Amino acid sequence: MAVEERDPLSGYKTTGHEWNGIKELNTPVPRPVFVFLIAAFLFSVGYWLLMPAWPTGQSYTKGLLGFDQRDQVARDVAAAAAQRAAWSRALEYTPFDVALADPALMTRVRDTAPALFGDNCAMCHGQSGEGGPGFPNLRDGAWLWGGTPDEIAETMRVGVNADHADTRVSQMPAFGRDQMLPQEDVRAVIDYVRSLSSERPVAPSARLVRGAEVFANTCAACHGVTGEGSQAVGAPNLTDGAWLYGGDRDSVHQSVWGGRHGQMPAWEGRLSTAERRLLTLYLLDLGRDQP
Amino acid sequence: MFGLHYKLERKAITLVLAIIGVASIGGIVEIAPLFTIDQTVEEAPDMRLLTPLELTGRNIYIREGCNACHSQMIRTLRDEVERYGPYSRAAESQYDHPMLWGSKRTGPDLARVGGKYSDAWHAAHLANPRDLVPQSVMPAYPWLGRRQARIDDLGRHLRALQALGVPYTEAMIEHAEADAYGQAAPNSERGWGVAERYGEAANVRDFDGQPGAPTEMDALIAYLQMLGRQTAIAEAAGDAP
Amino acid sequence: MLSELTSGQRQAALIFLALVACVGLFVAGFGGADPIAAHGWLVLGVALISAFAVLTRFHDPEPVADRSGSYYDAPVKAGIILAMVWAVLAMFVGDWVAWLLVDPELTFSEPWASFGRLRPVHTTGVIFGFGGNALIATSFYVVQRTCRVRLAGHLSPLFVLWGYNLFCLLAVTGYLWGINQSKEYAEPEWYADLWLVIVWVAYFVLYLRTLARRKEPHIYVANWYYLAFILVVAVLHIVNGLALPLSWAQAKSYSLFSGVQDAMTQWWYGHNAVAFFLTAGFLGMLYYYLPKRAERPIYSYRLSIISFWGITFFYMWAGSHHLHYTALPQWVQTLGMTFSVMLLVPSWASAGNALMTLNGAWHKVRDDATLRFMFVAAVFYGLSTFEGSFMAIRPVNALSHYTDWTVGHVHAGALGWVAMITFGAIYASVPWLWKQKTMWSPRLVEVHFWLALAGTLIYVFAMWNSGIIQGLMWRTYNESGTLAYSFVDSLEAMHPYYIARAVGGLFFLVGTLVGCYNIWMTIRASRAAAVLEGDHPAPRPALETGS
Ligand code: HEC
Ligand code: HEC
Ligand code: HEC
Ligand code: HEM
Ligand code: HEM
Ligand SMILES: [Ca+2]
Ligand SMILES: [Ca+2]
Ligand SMILES: [Cu+2]
Repeated sequence: MAVEERDPLSGYKTTGHEWNGIKELNTPVPRPVFVFLIAAFLFSVGYWLLMPAWPTGQSYTKGLLGFDQRDQVARDVAAAAAQRAAWSRALEYTPFDVALADPALMTRVRDTAPALFGDNCAMCHGQSGEGGPGFPNLRDGAWLWGGTPDEIAETMRVGVNADHADTRVSQMPAFGRDQMLPQEDVRAVIDYVRSLSSERPVAPSARLVRGAEVFANTCAACHGVTGEGSQAVGAPNLTDGAWLYGGDRDSVHQSVWGGRHGQMPAWEGRLSTAERRLLTLYLLDLGRDQP
Repeated sequence: MFGLHYKLERKAITLVLAIIGVASIGGIVEIAPLFTIDQTVEEAPDMRLLTPLELTGRNIYIREGCNACHSQMIRTLRDEVERYGPYSRAAESQYDHPMLWGSKRTGPDLARVGGKYSDAWHAAHLANPRDLVPQSVMPAYPWLGRRQARIDDLGRHLRALQALGVPYTEAMIEHAEADAYGQAAPNSERGWGVAERYGEAANVRDFDGQPGAPTEMDALIAYLQMLGRQTAIAEAAGDAP
Repeated sequence: MLSELTSGQRQAALIFLALVACVGLFVAGFGGADPIAAHGWLVLGVALISAFAVLTRFHDPEPVADRSGSYYDAPVKAGIILAMVWAVLAMFVGDWVAWLLVDPELTFSEPWASFGRLRPVHTTGVIFGFGGNALIATSFYVVQRTCRVRLAGHLSPLFVLWGYNLFCLLAVTGYLWGINQSKEYAEPEWYADLWLVIVWVAYFVLYLRTLARRKEPHIYVANWYYLAFILVVAVLHIVNGLALPLSWAQAKSYSLFSGVQDAMTQWWYGHNAVAFFLTAGFLGMLYYYLPKRAERPIYSYRLSIISFWGITFFYMWAGSHHLHYTALPQWVQTLGMTFSVMLLVPSWASAGNALMTLNGAWHKVRDDATLRFMFVAAVFYGLSTFEGSFMAIRPVNALSHYTDWTVGHVHAGALGWVAMITFGAIYASVPWLWKQKTMWSPRLVEVHFWLALAGTLIYVFAMWNSGIIQGLMWRTYNESGTLAYSFVDSLEAMHPYYIARAVGGLFFLVGTLVGCYNIWMTIRASRAAAVLEGDHPAPRPALETGS
């Protein structure tokens, strides 16, 4: 049957078969193939002996090293934390003003905070804390909940309208939608509120007078008699021209008619005390180089 | 050896059987023990089931192919634990038919995204990610907020999962549609049952800020806000950063 | 193609298509508001169009009674054309999604046009549409020539091809309409999965029956690979696809497995889809077309045996390298890693066997772009398997997993190996099939070759860069021992590489279009000339019969 022939080029014999013109040489398997196969196998056997490897029905071979990826990561994380402890521990108890004046500590803050802020806060407050519609600017010095370091750290810890037990709570009622004020009054108070921060003097009108009246009766409880806001209830200052939700007529209408219920997540549990204090210092530091 | 093969390759059926035999071994040795070794999936007595609305959201997540860009599996590596939180446990996806661990991180891992952002943020982000993150390459999903979620056949979904071993109770199956509605309409009568059946930890609120029947946005946000919060075993292990 | 059927077979085809149309109508009707209804209409439409096509040929003259003296090449020709159509479609979508990562606004504000839905259209389109059709077509071609016998059936090859393309169509339209099982490379829902099982069984039976009728005593190595491809893909597909549908008239199903077990099953499937679809099948192609084109004997029959069984055995253990450091128990990861390392040996053995076969034909590699496609494919096969085994090592995977490095590896394999060997095989077959001496324009083959090579290199280098940068940025620590970059920082760093990749992909796509034009012109130039000398089954009194 099979007629073997010799390939003139390589000198090897064929297997003697032909498939539509294709032939095969019966060349012996080159030695390196076996060498590498055996080497790879020996490597594998070694690895199996050292590491968890083969199932045994109800369990598996644990390996001579007793290695487990979960223990390993726990060790890695702990070791890293221990390395940082020198300064991260200091962050936990150093008073903020002392820390702000401590260049060594502030180097750590400036090193660490951008990525931490970038992964957790920037999605809302912007890459450099500049804020956006509904998300406060964190570097303009205008604080809803108080600008002392402790107040800032506390906002971060418990959040605003968050699911933390001690969360700060704020609510701008929906005066229009919930029919707490007649349409006319809503419109009037909007004009009045917008006039508070207007750069140009606003011509007095009956509507503004009505607006002022409504404001005194209804809004002053939270936003203060002059509209300067209240950090106790997180009611923004309405006179400073810095708007959380925007100062154009539509946005203000939306705020007054439909209410607002901004939410800031609580970071206790997700970020450590040191990390939260570090971010506080970072924000204060950001604010410092503002005009 | 080569002589033996010389004979083998003359018999098609033998070749077929040999291929099947040789190819079966690896899969059997690696997969079968995952069902028999107890340590494979940890005990998680506090494990909460997905509510019908969250399940709807999960199916929307699959439909839109979010898993093409987002993993839900934090690996046992220091950097992942420090960035995303405690590494993922097997128990956390034990009721996921199928799992959504993912294989590509064009966007960040989402295994622990629940509670990290507000509902309003998610609604705005899904409607157009670039409004919030200018560099984002994530697609905009403006239609989610416009479309009502399909909830009328949820009983059937829960029933199917129950058949596959997810411990949904008869009461859950019976009230699936009502619970889906109620979870996104906290002030409606139907809102009560969700906490009763799925535990106080279940989020009951209007997720997308549009009252009434749940939209696809409600469902998807409900799902996202639950990610990583079905059980506390990962946090309890004490390796949180 | 249809005129090669006897009138009885045409009737049978019509009855079958009527049945399919009924199923379509039934699903469309009972599906109601469910997305499956759209697939009901699609099936109905496809069945009606096909039935119409059969009807137009219904009264064609009967084919000659004894056709065993010629090969049945109609399905091969159709398969090659379909492969090229899918190639253009799917690579276009691939480049589109590549541009979407450059600028996410380059799309329509429609659900179907979002990245998450288009991406599986690309992957399914290239792997199953382009790759699958090429595999079916070349396997039909190769099994006939190497067995010296006509395909064992006339209707069933057409059914396999038609049914398979219907599956691909159900798959990609499904994703666009939001029907997706989420299992990577197995995204179609349960009913499409079931349909594929039927098609695949028909494919297997056809293949086996053809082998059984062969006139050569020995089964040629290309057929071992095609056989392994058909068999193992069937096993993988069935096990990984096990799912419980909500009802017979709803698209949604829930996978039988969950959590870790599902992850392991999925990647046992996913990795071996790579192994037996993207590797074994195409090795079958390589083993026929490369020696044929080079006109050299296979370098070593013994090496073929070692690598075939090595690949068949080792690959099946390697899937867990997709799950390093995850919640999958570490012992499985160990097995996945070690077997991936051992796998390199048979992989390189087959690449080496191919390259050594070219000894004595290097001048042809230099002059003939078709053979050069095959040569480059073998090189990229060696390269991507080396890379794969390297990436399977746990600490390497810690860096590469989840990043564009994986995407780079995928396309080194997909563009450099899978697509190149396919183009080589197609450029070799088209003149043989359409009875021409050469392609219409050998120079355009040359142009295609350089576009494809440049595109591949740009793509792969861009993704290596971006992947490694990404992986490093995610784990870089500053002097304080904290993470140095946020996720968005890494996203910004990807931008230039995403542009480069999209440009490289465009090169590749343009090359494919050039190829289509060349094939089209070759077909047009063919004038049903005489059968190539010797290109027919063995004459009647069989030389010798196998099993
Ligand atoms: C889901 C979006 C979101 C994320 C993420 C977020 N914040 Fe906020 N943050 C807000 C909103 C909304 C407010 C305003 C709440 C209100 O209306 O009172 C706020 C308020 C604050 C305030 C108080 C501002 C003031 O004027 O008193 C500080 C400080 C703050 N955030 C810091 C942070 C830090 C630091 C992080 C990251 C660790 C962070 N935020 C993450 C949404 C967010
Ligand atoms: C119960 C307390 C309360 C009362 C009463 C109240 N507000 Fe507010 N207001 C708030 C709080 C808290 C916010 C901030 C909401 C947030 O951050 O989500 C706010 C926000 C606003 C804003 C948006 C400010 C910005 O920077 O975008 C406007 C405008 C406003 N209030 C106007 C009014 C007017 C006009 C009234 C009276 C009709 C009123 N408020 C009554 C608590 C109150
Ligand atoms: C093209 C890839 C892509 C797709 C598809 C995609 N995303 Fe994203 N996603 C991103 C990127 C990139 C980011 C990071 C930038 C940002 O926040 O927008 C992101 C961020 C997110 C975040 C914030 C995560 C965090 O911790 O900061 C959430 C939540 C999210 N995506 C959910 C989804 C959902 C739900 C879907 C599907 C409906 C989806 N994504 C589809 C790419 C994608
Ligand atoms: C020795 C052979 C090979 C080995 C050991 C191997 C190994 C690997 C590894 C380790 C990964 C990354 C898994 C992860 O981190 O998620 C991977 C991904 C991949 N490889 Fe290979 N590879 C091999 C050959 C090939 C070839 C020839 C192709 C052909 C196209 C290919 C296609 C793919 C694909 C498509 C993926 C992506 C899977 C996903 O979606 O995540 N591989 N491979
Ligand atoms: C014109 C040529 C091509 C271009 C521009 C292209 C582009 C892309 C893009 C942009 C992705 C998504 C990557 C991501 O999510 O980040 C992708 C994924 C993929 N492509 Fe292609 N592609 C091309 C050709 C091919 C071919 C020919 C094949 C296979 C034969 C292929 C197989 C794949 C696979 C398997 C994936 C999934 C990878 C993974 O999950 O890791 N591609 N491609
Ligand atoms: Ca709602
Ligand atoms: Ca499937
Ligand atoms: Cu793999």
